[in-house]
Amino acid sequence: MATSPTLRLLRDELVGFARSRVMIVLWVVLPLLAILGYLLFTSSAEVAAGMGGDHKMSANAFMTFLLSSLAGTVAALMVAVDIVSERTRKVYELYVIRPIRREAIIWAKFLAVAACVVVACVVAIALGIAVDVARGDPFTATIAYDALKGLASLTAVVSLSAAVGTFFGVISRTILVAVILVLYVGQNLTIVPMLPMYFGILPRQFWVIMAISYALVAVMAWLSAVVFRRSQF
Amino acid sequence: MVEPLLQLAGVSKAYYGQAVLSDVSFEIAPGEVFGYIGPNGAGKTTTLKILAGLITTYDGVVRIGGVDVKTGRDRAHALIGFMPQACGFQSWRTVESALDTLADLSGVPADVRARRIPALLERFDLLAARGKKVKELSGGMTQKLGLIQALLHEPKLLVLDEPLEGLDPPSRRLLQEVLRERRAAGTTVLFSSHILSDIEDVADRVGILNRGKVATTGSIRDLTRAFGLPPELELAFSVAPADLGFLADPAVIGAGGRAVAERPDAWRLTLATDADPDAVVHALVERTLAGGGRVRKVGVAEPALDDLFARYILESDRAAGLTVPAPAAPAGGPDGN
Ligand SMILES: Nc1ncnc2c1ncn2[C@@H]1O[C@H](COP(=O)(O)OP(=O)(O)OP(=O)(O)O)[C@@H](O)[C@H]1O
Ligand SMILES: [Mg+2]
Repeated sequence: MATSPTLRLLRDELVGFARSRVMIVLWVVLPLLAILGYLLFTSSAEVAAGMGGDHKMSANAFMTFLLSSLAGTVAALMVAVDIVSERTRKVYELYVIRPIRREAIIWAKFLAVAACVVVACVVAIALGIAVDVARGDPFTATIAYDALKGLASLTAVVSLSAAVGTFFGVISRTILVAVILVLYVGQNLTIVPMLPMYFGILPRQFWVIMAISYALVAVMAWLSAVVFRRSQF
Repeated sequence: MVEPLLQLAGVSKAYYGQAVLSDVSFEIAPGEVFGYIGPNGAGKTTTLKILAGLITTYDGVVRIGGVDVKTGRDRAHALIGFMPQACGFQSWRTVESALDTLADLSGVPADVRARRIPALLERFDLLAARGKKVKELSGGMTQKLGLIQALLHEPKLLVLDEPLEGLDPPSRRLLQEVLRERRAAGTTVLFSSHILSDIEDVADRVGILNRGKVATTGSIRDLTRAFGLPPELELAFSVAPADLGFLADPAVIGAGGRAVAERPDAWRLTLATDADPDAVVHALVERTLAGGGRVRKVGVAEPALDDLFARYILESDRAAGLTVPAPAAPAGGPDGN
């Protein structure tokens, strides 16, 4: 075989997101709506005063704040719902009967969703910075550094959420159960990398949180693979 | 002896304590076309899913090409092409993209895919729909797509779950033709159906599944004979002869024969087990014409699947020593009281 099954399926998933307009919504419509929301929000002086006193929140900061609460949930829900709905529509039967490693199917889904949502984050933050610059704020090295660091931690959150979503997608048989699991349990699991820091076990350092996050991603991906390999169709 | 390509030994499967398959065993030799028949809910799909590796929790052993599907899944499944009873595709998939990915995952190189996919689409009259989304296809077209995906990698063993369901008559004939071609090319085929005539035309051998148990025998004819089913004839008139008395005449329909009117101009005749159906057909036509009637249709009726099953259950119960004894005479015997 020319390509590995995971890569082939990943390519297909991305093509699928493009064809089913998921990408347009994530990369264009949502960032534009968010920035529109920001513009309306900050033009209302009252709210701005309530939020940040005399200091107005920048578009960049607003987008990062918005994404930190939304991106992970979006990623987890996307993977979980997609996996359950494709399984109930018997899509996987035709893949599973082929001589490939079964986990390729769900890993491809995980990677595709994580990649799509991370790109959405990049677009949104870039749009935020662009709006700030257009309004006369200077683009400094500090802003660039903070944006990159924000993106790195967003990527970790999105990856972990997508991995948790994959696991819940694999163990659920109905979309409703998957959604409930993601919203109630998944949200809490993505806080886990922060815990050692809160309890003072590990230093409050960026790279430590990153390392724990990606270790958890690996664990969730492995668990999902184990469960999926044993699934009955 | 040739090693069987497919071998099921003592396969049992239960759902929530309810047995669906109990101790199913049969073998299929390389190049054979095997029809797997059974009524709704008999466990056909369950058996085929076990072969295809979709169900992995079962008892017993399944070997494809000598490889146990539980331990050597990849090697076993490289040999098989499977068409599920109902198959799904992602909603954004076009016919071509679905087939290309599935063939790729089966290990078909890109240049072969580029040749084979259009050829198969053409064969099944789907070439015009190659760019269409799968969800926009009709039921029968989707069914054909399910079939094509099973043929893409030219597997040694084709496993088809009710492949003729939902196909129009030309497509059915086409599929039967394709199956015959595959057999000629040495492919082994296992397909399920609950329609006997589907199987009779193409299968070398059939297995009957009922209530999770299987009986393997030769052809349908052999089965009919083995189970001692009496031959049946159908007779329909376009003009009924004035006198239908000959339908009850042992000289025409043989001793022990019986005719039942299904409609005033259509009859079903059950002959004695040892009767010669051809001779009876001949006599029936002669007498109809002599009586001023005209025959629209006459011939040997296919044994109803139900009858075959009923007989099969009876036979297997008898073999298991479960034959129901004749009702016991009332106490004191016939001359009591
Ligand atoms: N996932 C499942 N959970 C519980 N019971 C099941 C499941 N799948 C099948 N069964 C039961 O197993 C039995 C056999 O089902 P199966 O689908 O194998 O029948 P079949 O012979 O293919 O019937 P049909 O001709 O209708 O396709 C049925 O009684 C069915 O209810
Ligand atoms: Mg079935």
